Amino acid sequence: MNDVAVTAFRRQPLWRWFVVALLLIGATACGYLVDHHVSLTSQAMVYVLAVVIASYTLSWKESIVCAVGAVTAFNFFFVPPRLTFQVDSQEHLIALFTMLLVALVISHLAAGMRRETESARLNAQRAGQLQKLATELASATTPDEIAVLGRAALKSEFDGQCLLALGLGGDGLTNGGELPPAMSDAMQCCMKEAAVLGPGTGRWPGLDAWYLPLGTKGQMSGAVCVAPALAGDTAGREHAQALCSLLGQALWRARLTSSMLTAQHEAQRQQVQSTFLAAISHDLRTPLAAVIGAASSLQTQHDKLSRVEQDRLLSSIVSEATYLSNVTDNTLQLVRLTSSIQVLKQDWESMEEIVGAVLARVRQRDPSRRIKSKVPEKLPLIKADPVLLAQLIGNLLDNALQYSSDAIELGVSASDHELQVCIKDRGPGIPQEQVQTLFEPFSHNDHSGQRGAGLGLAVCHAIAVAHGGSLTFRRRTGGGSTFALTLPLNKQQPQREQT
Amino acid sequence: MTLRILVVEDDREIRSLMQSSLTVEGFEVQTAVSVSEAKAMLHIAPPDVLLLDLGLPDGDGIDLVHEVRKQHSLPVLVVSARHQEAQKIQLLDAGADDYLTKPFSVAELLARIRVSLRHRGTALDAAIKVHELDDLRVDLTLHQVQRDGETLHLTPTEFKMLARLVRSAGRVVTHRQLLSDVWGSEFTEHTHYLRLYMAQLRAKIERDPAEPRHLLTETGVGYRLATV
Repeated sequence: MNDVAVTAFRRQPLWRWFVVALLLIGATACGYLVDHHVSLTSQAMVYVLAVVIASYTLSWKESIVCAVGAVTAFNFFFVPPRLTFQVDSQEHLIALFTMLLVALVISHLAAGMRRETESARLNAQRAGQLQKLATELASATTPDEIAVLGRAALKSEFDGQCLLALGLGGDGLTNGGELPPAMSDAMQCCMKEAAVLGPGTGRWPGLDAWYLPLGTKGQMSGAVCVAPALAGDTAGREHAQALCSLLGQALWRARLTSSMLTAQHEAQRQQVQSTFLAAISHDLRTPLAAVIGAASSLQTQHDKLSRVEQDRLLSSIVSEATYLSNVTDNTLQLVRLTSSIQVLKQDWESMEEIVGAVLARVRQRDPSRRIKSKVPEKLPLIKADPVLLAQLIGNLLDNALQYSSDAIELGVSASDHELQVCIKDRGPGIPQEQVQTLFEPFSHNDHSGQRGAGLGLAVCHAIAVAHGGSLTFRRRTGGGSTFALTLPLNKQQPQREQT
Repeated sequence: MTLRILVVEDDREIRSLMQSSLTVEGFEVQTAVSVSEAKAMLHIAPPDVLLLDLGLPDGDGIDLVHEVRKQHSLPVLVVSARHQEAQKIQLLDAGADDYLTKPFSVAELLARIRVSLRHRGTALDAAIKVHELDDLRVDLTLHQVQRDGETLHLTPTEFKMLARLVRSAGRVVTHRQLLSDVWGSEFTEHTHYLRLYMAQLRAKIERDPAEPRHLLTETGVGYRLATV
C-alpha cells in the first residue's frame, strides 16, 4: 500500500514535467513546420499558446518553467541568430519578458479559478451530506442509531481518525473507557464549555484534532473528535460543526422522546394500578362479604336455621368462594400477561382436545346441556399454551352461561392460515357504548349489578393477543353476542413418525 | 386396618381442614409442615398415602418424591395451585401418582386417594389386566378392545397407548411418560404424536370424540383414563 502511494506521489510531478516538455516540443515542431510561411511573431504566438495551456492546466511552478523554456526555445530555435542564445534586437527581448508575464498572470488566474471550482464542489458535496444526514436522522430514534449515522458521516468526510462518544455533560462518556485519557479529557472539556477545541479555534490550539460538542449548553449529549484538523481549514471545521449540530439536535430529540414515553408509561401504569385496586376492592369484597355473612350466620344462628336454610347458606359459600377463586385466577393471569414476565409454554395442541377438556369442566354448570358444540374432525394442530386457551374458552362459556338462558353455540373452523373458535349466545348482548371498551380490564364495573365479566374478557383478549391472534365481538342479528377467537396456523404442520 | 395418610402442607387452615375431613372418612392422619419434617416422619413410620403440597417453605418436594420412590411404593398425591404446571409435571414425572389443583373439594380429594390406593393394592398382586367402564372393555391379556360388545381394531401404536393408560386407569399419565413408554425415551418432546394418535383413538373408542367419556385430557399435563 505504502509503496504504491509513494510512487504515485513521485510520479505525479514527473507526469506534469512530461506535459511541459511535450508542449515545448510541440510548439517548436509547429514553429518549424510553418517557418518559411509566417513571421517570427506568429511563431512566438505558438509558444504563447503552449504557455497558456500549461499555466491553465498545471500549477504555477510548471507554468513558470514552461514560460522560461518557451522563451529559451524560441530564442534558440527561431530568434536570429538561430541556434544560439544571442538576442539581436531589443524588440525580441521585450517579447520574451511579455511571454513570461503572460505565463505568470494566466497561471495565477487559472489557479484561483481552480480553487474556486474546487471549493464550490466541496461545498456542494458537504451540503449534500448534511442534507442526507438530516434525512437519515429523521428516522433514527435511539441514541445508538444516531451515533452510528454520525460516525459514518464523519468517516466519509474526514480521512483521519474520527470518534464519537455519547454521554451527558456531568457524568462522563458512555464509552469513555475505550478512549485514551487525553482524548477523553478533551471531549469532556469541549462538552463542559460547549465549544469547539483544536487548531484554528483559539482553544487548545496544540491539539492534533478538533473536538466538537454534540449539543448546546445544558442540552449536551456527547462529543466528537475529528482528524485531520488544519488551522487554516475553516470550511472543514465549519462543516464538522454543522454535522455535530445536526447530530446534537437529533440526540436531544431522541432523549426528549424517550423521557416522554417513560412518563407516559408511568402515567398509564398508575392508572391501571388504580383501576385495578378499585376493581379488586369491588370484585373481591362483594363475594367475600357474602361468604363471611353466610358463614357467620351459620356459626351464630345455627340452631335457629332450618335445614333448608343451612344448605342454602352452605351452597352460597361454595359458589361465592368459587367465584372468588376465578377472579383471583383471572387477575393473576392478567397481571402475568400484561407484565412481560409471562413466557408462553407453547406446544403442538389440538383445539378439539382443549375444547373437550373445557366442556368437561363447564358441563358441571350446564346440566341441561345448553352448550351445543360443533368441532370438525382432523383440525390442524396449533402451537399454543393449552392452559391459557382453556382459560380463554372457559371464561367465554362461563359468561355465556351466566348471561343467557338459551342455547349457546360453540363452533370451531379452520382455513388455510387460521383457526377460529366462535361462541354465540342469545343473551341481552353488550350495550353499544360498552363495545369499544369491552376488552379493557375493569372498564365497565358493575353498573348492571353483574360482576366479573369485564376482567374475564380482558384476560381472554390478552391471551388471544399473546398467541398472535385476536378476540373479536359482534352483535348477532336477532339479539345476543358472538365472540370469535382467531389464531394463526403454522403453515408447517408437524410430521408423523416415519414408520 | 386403618389407613394412614401423611399430609405435608404448610398452611394451617388447609392442613386442619384435610385432617378433619380425612379423619371423618376413617383415615389416620399425620401432618408435617415442611419437607424435612416429612422426611423424618417417613423414616420413622411410613404412611399408606402421602399428600404433598407444592411450594413448601424448605423446597418444592421433588427430592422428597425421589426419596420416597427409592424406598417405598406408597401413593404420592401432589396438591398444587393453578399456574404451577411445570413443577407439578416435574413431580409426576419423578414418580408422584396424581395431582389435585387448589381449590379442590373434599369429594375430589377422597376420589383421588381411593384411585391411588386401588392401584397400590393391586400392584402387589398383578397389574390391572382388564378395564371396564360403561360401553368400553379393554382386556390387555387378550389384546382386545370392545365397545358395546363389538371388537374394535386398533393399530399397534394405538393399542400400546391405550394399554399404558389402562395400567394407570384413573390416574393422570403425563405426556412425557406416555411418549417414553409408547414411543421410547428419545421421543419425549414429540407431543404432536400424542395429539394425532389420541384423536385417532378417540375416534374409534368415544361416542362423541369432541366430548370424551373415557380418554380425558388433563390440559397441559397429560391424559387420564376415566374410571368413574
